[in-house]
Amino acid sequence: MRTKPCRDWRISLGAYALGHLDEEERAGLEAHLEGCPECRAELASLGGVAALLPHADPVHFDKAPEPSPELGRRIFAGIEADTRRERRRQLRRRWSLGFGAAGLAAATATVLALVVFAGGGSGPGQAPQQQVAFADLPPGVEMGATLEPHSFGTEIHVYVSGVRSGTLCKVFLRGDDGVRYSAGSFRYRWGDDSEAVLSSGLDLSRTAAVGVRAGNRTFVAPVDSTATAFTNPQEEEAT
Amino acid sequence: MSPGALSQERDVREAYAAHSGELYGFALRSLDDAGLAEEAVQETFLRAWRAGERFDPQIGSLRTWLFAILRNVVIDLGRARSVRPKVGQSGIEPSVEPLEEALLSWQVEEAMRRIGDDHRRVLVETYYRGRPYSEVAEELGVPEGTVKSRVYYGLRALRVVLEEMGYED
Repeated sequence: MRTKPCRDWRISLGAYALGHLDEEERAGLEAHLEGCPECRAELASLGGVAALLPHADPVHFDKAPEPSPELGRRIFAGIEADTRRERRRQLRRRWSLGFGAAGLAAATATVLALVVFAGGGSGPGQAPQQQVAFADLPPGVEMGATLEPHSFGTEIHVYVSGVRSGTLCKVFLRGDDGVRYSAGSFRYRWGDDSEAVLSSGLDLSRTAAVGVRAGNRTFVAPVDSTATAFTNPQEEEAT
Repeated sequence: MSPGALSQERDVREAYAAHSGELYGFALRSLDDAGLAEEAVQETFLRAWRAGERFDPQIGSLRTWLFAILRNVVIDLGRARSVRPKVGQSGIEPSVEPLEEALLSWQVEEAMRRIGDDHRRVLVETYYRGRPYSEVAEELGVPEGTVKSRVYYGLRALRVVLEEMGYED
């Protein structure tokens, strides 16, 4: 009798794994399996898949469910809000160091504001930054500034929150000669926690104070000009 | 920072484009509530974003990592909802089926959606509907041997897809 080739038996393995073969065909396949390790291995593999079928419900086969188009927008709006919250938290932590020092100083002297610390975070070759905090702010208003000396003058990062959205904030530096130098302006928008970046041609070493006029009120923080000379490391090496 | 970490919003957007569909599919299969499923996916991407620096592609794929986060989110949502049983057609029933079972069901159903139409059709007709091969063959206008062959290759295709999806015995 001519026997079926292996590949003919093999296509019956699926039906066998699902228990669909009639008795005669099943007996013939089982006889083949005894002498065919490849088909036995294939059956073992298919049997594993066949055992998974009861876990599925065919009503879910037709089309993959899709989320609403709004989901992506909500997720990225959430991430942006999360990023803003984190940035605000970091900024508040920075400013809170300043406000703590401001409270201590206010108890001993009548000052409008004071220098918090100078040179924080600078490394070799980096211009020393100076962070200042504004005192006597109305409740709910936060304001801070970071000044960074450059060869062109001074870079000023200003952070404001708690004022009315749309408030025009004019930033200026006051020189040690008493002259006021405009550094530009920005509008505070509610929910925007980013720092405004401005600049002035006045050297930080000659700056006595930084001021922000927000609406009709002006807030001034003195600057420690003695700790903020701009140094160019390349120039130092050359001399 | 690990290469491939979700450190930029752009990375999250790419991950969302690649995986949000199947994450949502699994969440929906687990929670049986479209609104909750979207909430779960939203929370998953937010957690992934916050922990993005910790993702290490050397340990596992981004997809696996996202599913691990989603799994925890679904557990949290399931717990929150467990005090509010859902009223089904047969009365009060548990609102969340066991998570591992839901994951397995979703995997097999997703694999079924990915194999060819001909293969899926014969598996549905012969296995899920229990119809005789001869009847299915007549309806499809093909020899009975072709139905048997499609069952065999359908199971093979299902195995390959499941392996691609990371299923392990």
